[in-house]
Amino acid sequence: MQISILLFGPMAQRIGRDCVAVEVAGDSATVDQVLAELRRAKPTLASDLVGHCIAVNHAYANGETLINAGDEVAAIGMVSGG
Amino acid sequence: MSSQRVSIVDGPLAPMCEVRSFEDAGAAVTFEGIIRPLEGGRTISGLRYSAYEPMAELVLMELARDACARFEVTSIQVEHSRGFVATEQRSFRLVVLADHRRAALDATDWFINQMKRVVPIWKAPEYAADRDPSNDSSAERPDSMAEALP
Repeated sequence: MQISILLFGPMAQRIGRDCVAVEVAGDSATVDQVLAELRRAKPTLASDLVGHCIAVNHAYANGETLINAGDEVAAIGMVSGG
Repeated sequence: MSSQRVSIVDGPLAPMCEVRSFEDAGAAVTFEGIIRPLEGGRTISGLRYSAYEPMAELVLMELARDACARFEVTSIQVEHSRGFVATEQRSFRLVVLADHRRAALDATDWFINQMKRVVPIWKAPEYAADRDPSNDSSAERPDSMAEALP
């Protein structure tokens, strides 16, 4: 299954893209599995991808959260509003 | 019963209108974030904000509800900018109403700390020499991202 991950702010700027696709085996994957693939595909983002840095369907997810086809996945990283 | 209102708007926030109703509150705290002219010792023309919407609005609303419950606050209104905001302009406003001063002040401080930790909004400084005025009112998603989002 291919999972598209939305990127914002410094992460999008760093790699010059606002979306990255990663390939995982099977019909679903955990956030931790997707993170591992993302770190492998884009090592320059590794330092941003710590803690609860992934959102699934607009909510922060933990490492065990399952991602299924059609879910909206976003890498949040360090925020800086205000 | 408490009330919350959240909005993310293009560009700088307009100056605040008078609060129409204090909803029987005894304390009203208004906090406004203003763009400073210096960032890391360099002069900037402003900050460019990007937001992951609608998650940013959802998280702001969640924080507003949480603050009302934790601090016995009766009303929270939040406004945040997206896009370019020039120096000396407002990019963030929080209005908190409560029965008593301490609750309103504590809720204000707590809300801002939480917002800076979890709300998916980012800012980047723009230096005078880098600025492209044609981007001033643009929302912050590149075109390809706009297509990817609902």
